[in-house]
Amino acid sequence: MSAATAAVAVEALSLTLGVFRLKKLSFALARGGILVILGPNGSGKSVTLETIAGFHRPDGGCVLFGGRDVTALPPERRRVGFVVQNFGLFPHLSVAQNVAIGRRAASAAMAHDARLPAHGDPQALLSYFGIAHLAERAPGGLSPGEKQRVALARAVASTPDLFLFDEPFSALDSGTRDQLRQELKSFLRALAIPAIFVTHDHDDALALADTMIMLRDGAVAQSGSAAEIFRKPANSFVARFVGVQNILPGQLIAQSDGVFTLAVGERTLRAAGPPNAVNPGASLLLAIRAEDVTLSRAGIASEPPGAVNRLQGRVVGSRTIGPLVAVQIDCGFALKAYLLAPQWQAMKLGPDAPVMAAVAPNAIHLMNE
Amino acid sequence: MTVDAVANRAGSIKSRWRTRGAPSRPGTLYLLCWFCGSVLLAFLVIPLVALATHQSAQNLGEVAGMADVRAAIALSLEGAFLSATLAALAGVPLAYGLARTRFPGKGMVAALIDLPLAVPHTVAGIALLMVFGRQGIFGEPLQTLVGLRFWGTLAGIVVAMLFVSAPYTVNAARIGFEAVDPRLEQIARTLGLGPWRTFLRITLPLAWHSIMTGVTLTYARSISEFGAVVILVYYPMTAPVMIYELFLRFGLEQAAGAAVLLLIVSLALFVLLRALAQRGTPAPGNR
Repeated sequence: MSAATAAVAVEALSLTLGVFRLKKLSFALARGGILVILGPNGSGKSVTLETIAGFHRPDGGCVLFGGRDVTALPPERRRVGFVVQNFGLFPHLSVAQNVAIGRRAASAAMAHDARLPAHGDPQALLSYFGIAHLAERAPGGLSPGEKQRVALARAVASTPDLFLFDEPFSALDSGTRDQLRQELKSFLRALAIPAIFVTHDHDDALALADTMIMLRDGAVAQSGSAAEIFRKPANSFVARFVGVQNILPGQLIAQSDGVFTLAVGERTLRAAGPPNAVNPGASLLLAIRAEDVTLSRAGIASEPPGAVNRLQGRVVGSRTIGPLVAVQIDCGFALKAYLLAPQWQAMKLGPDAPVMAAVAPNAIHLMNE
Repeated sequence: MTVDAVANRAGSIKSRWRTRGAPSRPGTLYLLCWFCGSVLLAFLVIPLVALATHQSAQNLGEVAGMADVRAAIALSLEGAFLSATLAALAGVPLAYGLARTRFPGKGMVAALIDLPLAVPHTVAGIALLMVFGRQGIFGEPLQTLVGLRFWGTLAGIVVAMLFVSAPYTVNAARIGFEAVDPRLEQIARTLGLGPWRTFLRITLPLAWHSIMTGVTLTYARSISEFGAVVILVYYPMTAPVMIYELFLRFGLEQAAGAAVLLLIVSLALFVLLRALAQRGTPAPGNR
């Protein structure tokens, strides 16, 4: 996808804004896709979004909407729909007035954009989003789900080329978040307007992303599909951020037929490994997701020997996390495993009990740094 | 009113009186707070009540019949109106600038705005005399160039009133603007509203209540100003100067009559302005 054909493209964007810096940031988004920008606080996610919306003039680089350079345009001429935390409805206007305010600003030609539901007519938009009965209500008393619909209707009324979401769910409880994510995704699919969604929440990213970029200190740490970034993080920073619990330093001993043999402490592990060859003796990091570690009582072999890495160890402790139990094991090095709570209880293992951990070679992801 | 409505109303009154975060039975702390508070409230209210009840209707009518008293009150209202208008015209932009921009020395500017509140008003009057007086920095050239005089004129009264009361408008408006989430302004921009329309449609309505509260305070402070006005402009007399003059020449009785008249007029205007401030706020219960 070239910058000219992409729905949205950011090219070598540089910006210094107080403590935030964007360092030659580049990415592109296909028409109708959802791009999730994931990153910790201070990584420059919001600043990136605000620069795309037109609130900051970049020091260098450009922003293209469908090949059109908008870098020099003020926000009101960019046609972006901006949705923020708590949805940012205007508290002094009714729902209908909130939706109508942008339409009045848009030109008559824009308001009859045939791509959009109801052609930008506020009343029809309210019906499209199922909020016609709320038209005269003040935004303050609405539920989060209703607010989201009003925010979307308001943005659509101004006929945007692009949606920008800046952590709209971050103040909501997890149940509501999940429901609103699903709803947002289906609306975005139906509208076929591309969207950039900024978050630091894994669940947001996994639920919404067609493609994803991971931001670190104003630069792209990794880009790809959500599955790629979660299963095959590029480095230990990304791995930690996407919730890889076990990151172990190891040394490559040998490789043959795409199987890598590594020394981790006193132990030897086999990994399916990266496709690119690495010299023996090289230091690598092993990323193992805690849910990929299976446990059994010592002495019971549930898998045929040789198919998996089997590690004899001892239970250090356990901790309940929602429906899961995080079990800390010492098998020469510290290893964490996630089990469903009933499975763990059935194993009847207390602290210091011997335990057998198993990790499939293809569940071990190798990283250079 | 139905029985249910009455019950609801009783319930809402009851819930209004419930102390926040405290058990329904008031503790010793709250009783003590209210005891001390009552002393202060009484101290604030009793003198005004005493003043108002001391007057016979006949005496009041007599004072109201005096043309110079009526003229003085009218002059006070006019001066305060102009002072509040000027404070709003210049102070609201200043407040928005302070709320939305960051620059070195911003703390200094904020302190400068508060300065007139700390200066004794007679001192302010003397300082203003140096600038707007006959030989003042502005007073002299403005008189010779455009014939604008600040001594013995309404213009002088307004200048004195504005100096001591403008900080209320600037500070209240600034707090009001700071409370408007910049994100709302950003959203308005993305919806296609330019900076001016965003300010007029979003920012100003949301800050309206605070601005009007500030303007009301400026207005009230302007009406009550004595010290700065009396030094810069003794004649024509505003109501406070007139009351002082009556007190010196005829004693308490005459002065008190004019004082009650001024009290009635300014309270009425205060209530009116507060109602106006409320009207501009978002519909109830949606913040």
